[in-house]
Amino acid sequence: MTNISETPILDVQGLAKQFRLHAQDELVPSCSDVNMRAFPGQLAALTGPTGAGKSSVLKCIYRTYLPSEGSIHFRRADGEVVDLARISEQDMLHLRLSELGFVTQFLHCVPRRPADEVVAEPLILRGMALADALAQARELLRRLNVPERLWRLPPATFSGGEKQRVNLARGLIAKPRLLLLDEPTASLDKNTTGQVIELLREFKQAGVAMVAIFHDPELVTALADAEYRLAPPQSLSHSTPAPEALQS
Amino acid sequence: MKPILEVKGLTRIHGTECPSCLDMTGPEHDTNVCPACGSVVAAANVSFSLQPGEILGIMGESGSGKSTVVKTLYFDQAPSRGSAIFRDGDQNHELFNLNGAEQRWLRNHRFGMVYQNPNLGLNFGISAGGNIAERLLMNDLNHYGDIRRRAGELLTRTDVMVSRMDESPKQFSGGMQQRVQIAKALATRPPLLYLDEVTTGLDLSVQARILDLILEIQHELGTAMIVVTHDLGVIRLLASRTLVMKYGRVIESGLTDQILEDPQQAYTQQLVASTL
Repeated sequence: MTNISETPILDVQGLAKQFRLHAQDELVPSCSDVNMRAFPGQLAALTGPTGAGKSSVLKCIYRTYLPSEGSIHFRRADGEVVDLARISEQDMLHLRLSELGFVTQFLHCVPRRPADEVVAEPLILRGMALADALAQARELLRRLNVPERLWRLPPATFSGGEKQRVNLARGLIAKPRLLLLDEPTASLDKNTTGQVIELLREFKQAGVAMVAIFHDPELVTALADAEYRLAPPQSLSHSTPAPEALQS
Repeated sequence: MKPILEVKGLTRIHGTECPSCLDMTGPEHDTNVCPACGSVVAAANVSFSLQPGEILGIMGESGSGKSTVVKTLYFDQAPSRGSAIFRDGDQNHELFNLNGAEQRWLRNHRFGMVYQNPNLGLNFGISAGGNIAERLLMNDLNHYGDIRRRAGELLTRTDVMVSRMDESPKQFSGGMQQRVQIAKALATRPPLLYLDEVTTGLDLSVQARILDLILEIQHELGTAMIVVTHDLGVIRLLASRTLVMKYGRVIESGLTDQILEDPQQAYTQQLVASTL
């Protein structure tokens, strides 16, 4: 009998991302030869120096960046394995709605909408009744120490830490099957960081797979089941020297 | 889920078309005017699909052909060629094969349009309520009291004071005129709505309220929309997928966050880099 947790939900092979900047006529490497897996109920930490392309890997998985090379196999809830690097835009939108979550470094949300509605949005998009979605959102905001007086206000004026908690709550509320986390605790106080660790542990127990970038090595120790250390990508200009370099 | 709209090879050429028109225009030729015959290629081989309830953005600067696309789909202009299938329940309509009466029926019942210029969408000779009543009458609502009540509801929904429904929209501010246009477009609860630069030229705070209203409508009614704009902020806020047009061609398409964060084409990179 195979243990379900031995089958990866995410299997990234040979992933590379380069940006072609037309105005500068340059090819900028962002990450290269990334191989990693994520399993249900486990957290895979991406570590490495600044510029190693950690955030790029998450953005490629989520299709915010188009991967240049490699495959990103994802096992859907229905058991089918799809390559996130190649599925249609419609399929990607559907997966984002139902199975993938992404907590980015900064809160991007519809302006002018109160925090509890921002957090509840993923549930509303899935068709949950507004009152139920708001109740869950407020519960999560409470757990993440967002003061109740802020719940009905738009997050635009919140402090960095408060915004980040709203951002986290929105990413966590829909309990995605695969959760991508990009420095979710970077501007949180110790107390709230503790709450986040506790929440993420509950997520692991519930079987959620996570790929995370943490600025704090302690969080890696506390939460990671696997660590993938990325090296900065090989500079392409070294392998293909520019004409000037050849002359000198 | 099947797309509500499937557009293939939509082409619109103004002038005496010649065989060189498509070959000698477009982004790589830096023009949409055919050097051989002087025809203007407003749109060439535009293809895309739209899911029910989805908002698709079409982005590009003036003259890119983005408005031409929605104007042909709303039958304001006839395409030179191409096909567009509109799926309405279990009926498939090949839009460009319909006769005039059938096109008018779809336009009045199943499509809504909001123009940049309220002059095009509203009749300034009659009241705001009358503008909406006109559309309701075409939809076989005939009882005066019912029409008035429904028009009032629609204006309330779009934040236009019902007390002003008997005034001509001519006397309204630009933002209010757009809201009356939206109320009118929504009168028949169309499954498909075209929005052509609806916030261009409005004050920022007024723009914000219109955009909020559009999002609320999409949430409430699940209306599919095509949003044409040169404003990246509007695209970011509203659209899940985006087409980028230049010289009548779709030069790039993708998920909106990908288009804005990882644009592939030189032109799109330049557009994204020019935002404030």
